[in-house]
Amino acid sequence: MKIQINGRWYEAREGEMVLDVLRREGIDVPALCAHEAVEPYGACRLCMVEITHEDWGGWKGNVTSCLYPVEDKLIVQTHTEDIIELRKTVLNLLLARCPNSPEIQKLASEYGIDTTSFVPREDADNCIMCGLCTRVCTQMGFNAISVAGRGYGREIATPLKEAPPDCVGCLACVKICPTHHIQYEDIGTTREIWGRQFELVKCKQCGKALITREFADYLIENRDIPADYFDICDDCKRSGTARDFKKLVHWEEKEEAEEEVSA
Amino acid sequence: MTKRFLIRPALCIGCRTCELACSLTHQENKKPGRSRIYPIAVGREQWVPIACLQCDDPACVKSCLVDALRLNEELGYIELLQERCIKCRACVAACPFGCSLIDEEQEIIVKCDLCEGNPACARFCPTKALEYK
Repeated sequence: MKIQINGRWYEAREGEMVLDVLRREGIDVPALCAHEAVEPYGACRLCMVEITHEDWGGWKGNVTSCLYPVEDKLIVQTHTEDIIELRKTVLNLLLARCPNSPEIQKLASEYGIDTTSFVPREDADNCIMCGLCTRVCTQMGFNAISVAGRGYGREIATPLKEAPPDCVGCLACVKICPTHHIQYEDIGTTREIWGRQFELVKCKQCGKALITREFADYLIENRDIPADYFDICDDCKRSGTARDFKKLVHWEEKEEAEEEVSA
Repeated sequence: MTKRFLIRPALCIGCRTCELACSLTHQENKKPGRSRIYPIAVGREQWVPIACLQCDDPACVKSCLVDALRLNEELGYIELLQERCIKCRACVAACPFGCSLIDEEQEIIVKCDLCEGNPACARFCPTKALEYK
């Protein structure tokens, strides 16, 4: 099927959302809460676009493109005056919520907003409540963190605000956070996140650490990966692979090839 | 039948042209990327080029909890969907051959994608230690 974006026609596939097409085609529409690893959610409201269709009798609507499925001959406008105004309002609010976030500041200034017209939050952190961290945690099967509270007190929290028993310290929440709000610390081979400490698996040969013991154990138990795969780091495994292959190689081939060249 | 990536370590002279070809082919953020292939010295005048072996039962795919790694059936290689990857390093730790790699500079995971059917390392290898046929 084909959809029209800003006057040009693009190929779209059944089942994908308008934002998927926008991203694939490199059309600049801001979106903070969308990630391909998780289902769309519609939290940040920045990816709003105007849609219409020749069969809709002139009706137009503003929708979040991350949640709107494509249909044949859909007509999308990404930068109408109304849409830009909507994004400005959202950014104005986000800037009041997270006045210290470099990511939000940059995005807001791209839309001409340098200071928020609302009252900035006191003791503001950089969480925009997009829920990417909780959604990716659920997607990975851990469910260690979730959204807690309502209204002004809404926040991302661990169960009973204690060290989360189901967390494995994989850092998916840290890496996916669009505003780098979630903090962790690696000291030596100890990792601390969400108030809990994890021990990193040390390479038996060189001591390099990649993931936590808990994460490795989860993969061994649930994903059918042999336990000894996690004993050694990637660098040492590559060297080991090369040494193993050395025994299988017919090294005399080299001289034969050289003789061929000289002959 | 799909083509095969053939490594003949006996022919490798350790010139690292494959590394350069790989790095320049996989340009990210307008910079040469991390090479996905490494000739490793295993003795006097002996090198073994190591790259993803595209396993039949890949630990990297099994370890990925967000399905960012999958078999590309058409071209017969394990494909890493960069947009889906959440950089948890499970595949890096799980690969028994150490061929899921971390690009520290760009904070992404990379692996050999056989250049989606035309590997640059094989094209540039001067001794045919690497071939795709």
